[in-house]
Amino acid sequence: MPFTALNSRMVEARIAPGQRMFSQRGAMLAYRGEVSFTPNIQGGQGGIGSMIGRRIAGEATPLMTVEGSGTVMFGHGGHHVHVVDLTGETLYVEADRLLAFDGSLDQGTMFMGSQGGVMGMVRGQVTGQGLFTTTLKGHGSAAVMAHGGVIELPITPQRPVHVDPQAYVAHRGEVRNKLSAALGWRDMVGRGSGEAFQLELSGQGTVYVQASEEKL
Amino acid sequence: MACARVHKRWSIVTAARTITAGGATKGRSGADRDQLGSRPVRAPGPPTTVWSVAQFRLQGSKVLAVDMTGDAVKAKNGAMVAYDGQMSFKKMTGGGEGLRGMVTRRLTGEQMAVMEVKGHGTCYFADRASEINLVRLQGEKLYVEASNLLCTDAALRTGTTFTGMRGASQGNGLFTTTVEGTGQAAITSDGPAVVLRVTKQYPLQVDPGAYIAHTGGLKQHFQSGVNFRTLIGEGSGEAFQIRFEGEGLVYVQPSERNTVGGEV
Repeated sequence: MPFTALNSRMVEARIAPGQRMFSQRGAMLAYRGEVSFTPNIQGGQGGIGSMIGRRIAGEATPLMTVEGSGTVMFGHGGHHVHVVDLTGETLYVEADRLLAFDGSLDQGTMFMGSQGGVMGMVRGQVTGQGLFTTTLKGHGSAAVMAHGGVIELPITPQRPVHVDPQAYVAHRGEVRNKLSAALGWRDMVGRGSGEAFQLELSGQGTVYVQASEEKL
Repeated sequence: MACARVHKRWSIVTAARTITAGGATKGRSGADRDQLGSRPVRAPGPPTTVWSVAQFRLQGSKVLAVDMTGDAVKAKNGAMVAYDGQMSFKKMTGGGEGLRGMVTRRLTGEQMAVMEVKGHGTCYFADRASEINLVRLQGEKLYVEASNLLCTDAALRTGTTFTGMRGASQGNGLFTTTVEGTGQAAITSDGPAVVLRVTKQYPLQVDPGAYIAHTGGLKQHFQSGVNFRTLIGEGSGEAFQIRFEGEGLVYVQPSERNTVGGEV
């Protein structure tokens, strides 16, 4: 079920009987056809176990299930929306940035500490993202929100990419992330360049960066 | 590695929407205005020239990409969003204008936190999702508010000048920042900026809240349309304007800062 971008801030999704889709609660703007919206108490896929997992992880954004046949338009808060098509890879994204995604994608929660150890946990604190992040895996599309539009930067083993943690939106592929601190004496005396912490992404994949340092 | 770098550079000429100060201005097509480009398109063909200065190009309209090969640029503190390659960030105390510049900036309230970015690779800058305009300077002077200056070539000199009444009405002080020399500068605007040409026959009036920058030999006056209606609180909200006369270009944003003039 592909998303079509109507403009930079709105996407339209076609929904057919037998398919379903998850979206952030209240993100529907308009729809055509017979479409039903049911609040999803569990916050996504999986059973009660997954729900508890997400609650504990603080990645439980209120979601709704969209079913029926027709087209639905999504948008939220005037933020830019970026469509990511997945073909088997994994997308790592914060739950609150996720506007809508296909029901065909496997939703999961990942502990940051499992990638990068202690620094991974520090990373979550520095970026204000917490210790957990949401993963989407499989074949399908997801619509991700960002403040001020998104650029995609390719990551290759030869060219790691460094990202400002506040401008980081999401990443996909086989990517390892590491928080690198370039703290010098200047930062200690309050004369820092404002770029003390950077997220180093290495491996093979893509990182999505927003044109702003503001959170959603 | 070196080849790849130069290769990337080669695409810049086509990718960047450069507004050349003093030259013709390229129109921006409305449809793609709001969309950010996905990734840089690398043009085919072997490169023949190697520039030694940092190359500025726009990635979409809100992200500035700067290609560097060991040279440096000055940028607003904390404006980096991503980079590849090797980069170092160093705060330049007092905007890199020495002790005198630092004191001047403190006194005039045109403080700007500037960092020096140096290294090999591509560095991406953005500031609160504001639109970015590239200005190429060939020896002339660019007048811009410190808060609207995102990034400049290291070769450009920055300084402060007195603006008189205009500054006071704009709500950002009596002084403004000047950028001088040969090279590129990136200025930010709230919404896509329009570049208006001023000639001797056609002077221009601008709302102080919408003005962002100007270049060329322009004289500016401050004019007011205060009348009895304004005094009884029935003003149109356009009580003050800046009038530009001479030859040059004025950058205007489609948004107004909160100014004293806007209230009356």
